[in-house]
Amino acid sequence: MFKQFVQGIDGNQVYLITSLAIFLLFFIVVTVMLIRIKKPHADYMSDIPLSDNQPKHLNIQEL
Amino acid sequence: MQPEKFYYDNKIVRNFGIATIVWGIIGMTVGLLVAMQLFKPGMNMGNQYTTFGRIRPLHTNAVIFAFVGNAIFMGVYYSLQRLLKARMFSDALSKIHFWGWQLIIVSAVITLPLGFTTSHEYAELEWPIDIAITLIWVVFGINMFGTIIKRRERHLYVAIWFYIATFVTIAVLHIVNSFELPISGLKSYYLYAGVQDALVQWWYGHNAVAFFLTTPYLGMMYYFLPKMANRPVYSYKLSILHFWALIFIYIWAGPHHLLYTTLPSWAQSLGIVFSIMLIAPSWGGMINGLLTLRGAWDKVRDDVVLKFMVVGLTAYGMATFEGPMLSLKQVNAIGHFTDWIVAHVHVGALGWNGFLTFAILYWLIPRIYRTQLYSTKLASFHFWIGTLGILFYAVPMYWAGFTQGLMLKEFTPEGILKYPTFLETTLRIIPMHVMRAVGGGLYLVGVIVMAYNLAKTMAVGKLVAQEPAEAMPLEKVFVAHNEGDNFWHRVLERKPIQLMVLSLLVILIGSIIELIPTMTISSNVPTIASVKPYTPLELQGRDIYIREGCVNCHSQTVRPFRSETERYGEYSKAGEFVYDHPFLWGSKRTGPDLQREGGKYSNAWHYNHMLDPRLMSPGSIMPNYDWLINQKLDTTTTASKINAMRTLGVPYAAGYDKQANTELDKQAKGIADNLAKDKIKVQSDREIVALIAYLQRLGTDIKVTKTANN
Repeated sequence: MFKQFVQGIDGNQVYLITSLAIFLLFFIVVTVMLIRIKKPHADYMSDIPLSDNQPKHLNIQEL
Repeated sequence: MQPEKFYYDNKIVRNFGIATIVWGIIGMTVGLLVAMQLFKPGMNMGNQYTTFGRIRPLHTNAVIFAFVGNAIFMGVYYSLQRLLKARMFSDALSKIHFWGWQLIIVSAVITLPLGFTTSHEYAELEWPIDIAITLIWVVFGINMFGTIIKRRERHLYVAIWFYIATFVTIAVLHIVNSFELPISGLKSYYLYAGVQDALVQWWYGHNAVAFFLTTPYLGMMYYFLPKMANRPVYSYKLSILHFWALIFIYIWAGPHHLLYTTLPSWAQSLGIVFSIMLIAPSWGGMINGLLTLRGAWDKVRDDVVLKFMVVGLTAYGMATFEGPMLSLKQVNAIGHFTDWIVAHVHVGALGWNGFLTFAILYWLIPRIYRTQLYSTKLASFHFWIGTLGILFYAVPMYWAGFTQGLMLKEFTPEGILKYPTFLETTLRIIPMHVMRAVGGGLYLVGVIVMAYNLAKTMAVGKLVAQEPAEAMPLEKVFVAHNEGDNFWHRVLERKPIQLMVLSLLVILIGSIIELIPTMTISSNVPTIASVKPYTPLELQGRDIYIREGCVNCHSQTVRPFRSETERYGEYSKAGEFVYDHPFLWGSKRTGPDLQREGGKYSNAWHYNHMLDPRLMSPGSIMPNYDWLINQKLDTTTTASKINAMRTLGVPYAAGYDKQANTELDKQAKGIADNLAKDKIKVQSDREIVALIAYLQRLGTDIKVTKTANN
């Protein structure tokens, strides 16, 4: 199947290779970003919908 | 600092909610009508305004933009205010948004049955309505960003990112796919032609599914599911990955709608590769949703709202598994153009969009009316009849798709087509179409029961139009208190405009890489010397073909398979479509392909076939088009059409517009005389003559080369 793809892109490899490079770069950046997110912040963010009716001010430093 | 008191606007949420229910019932009723037309031609009701070709776009537009559209705005207006701890930016803009959107829908309900259509699927509305959509979308954007700016919650929850991506991407898609040259108040030609037009359309069509039917619903899932289950989303990190990966990958996948067509193969390959990758973020999102219910599955047993959510998410998982599978060339070869695709989209539409909408309505209406749901039994009945409806819809359609797809490809041991007549395959799947209509009917009954249940709920309760709330205002300048506060994704979560710009960049990468080379590199669309512009009569005939929505049932692209070249003739070449503004390749073959129709039958055959298709093809499910025989062709538009085509690069000679009608009359007389030989008396200035001229021209240009070469 891979062979079919390669044959089908005669003379246009540049598009596919560029796309692959962008794709890889994109996911490396997103992965780095995810690794660097800390748990308290993640917990704070996921609690936002549940705290929407509370009058109490929840600021990040309170966590 | 003192907490600020403010009020959530629930009235606008309620209004969008009612609009969702009303348009849902209308859109699905029209859907049931078109489903019945496919096994009982009498359901076309013998007039041009209710034929399948004109009504099917009404169904799709009504359920996508009216039912789902209003549901999106209902969900966004409810959740956005609460996630940001702020009232909507402007009540006036909310009202303009609501009434403007309803007006757009009403204009679609009027213009589509009248035959005003651009023919681009899910973008059929003509240019003045396109402008209105743009303006109202901008109003929505200002209202949303205005609310974001005056928020009392520093960080933007993931749901809001999905809303922002929806806003920005739909704006880009709608504008690029609406580049049209108006030739009259309600008629225009697309700037692109043939292959380019096809790529733009399916880049739009596929991403309308992504950014209208998916991202806003994912945003709503991330808000409403935690609220319904009373527990936070399973993984916030997964939601980030889900968001960026989904918007990045989705935009590339459009070309999978054009496999085996004359679209350059590199673009097809890109579409396939990214479609397969798409399963990862899609399932990541589904899993994140389902796992949010971990430890709460006992609630699912009792809570009908959660039942709707679980089935909705499962349907999303099924549809997003099937999408990549259908993008594989080998599977696509069988599934494309058949009812398999119809089944696929309805699993998404009925299961994912429908069930999530119902869950949100059942959860939200009692809350803004400060009351209990009128009847949980009726809601439970709705859930079961709806689920049964989806099964009765999808299973027969899959069956019909496989059956027809395989029949059309079957050869006898002698090497000839086993079912050479397309109609044989149509007749075989009629029982499945009847069952599908039953499924659709069951689903609609459920929606009507829901409408009754919610109306009763509203009658018992009282709308809290202004819901009081309070929250601390934001500090004017953000002060980082913790290590990591300045890490750039956390910064991004505080900066909506930057988030929007970054989302825009992410969706533009795939768009630019696919669209620009196809538009600019001439080797992607090799021209053919013998392909000439349409004659004035053929051009008028083509516009009748567009008006009647023939493209809804007939494709105009022969794929390079032996089963297709044997059945239809030579496979399509990119250069054959260079004057086709718009392209008319279609996406579904309820009837046979027409790319090589020219010269296959006599003029008399076409005349009789249009008068009553069953005269020439017994058992045919095509509607009659007898009014074309009586209606006079409007030739006052010929000159402006020729001029518009010239502007778009079609090589009509200068001044040709002035002699166009003379040539039109001459060609029409020739066809009328030819019909007279077969004892058919018809005036040469009737619409049927123009349509016959167009049909007889289809796909003949390359035959001219062959004759010349021989």
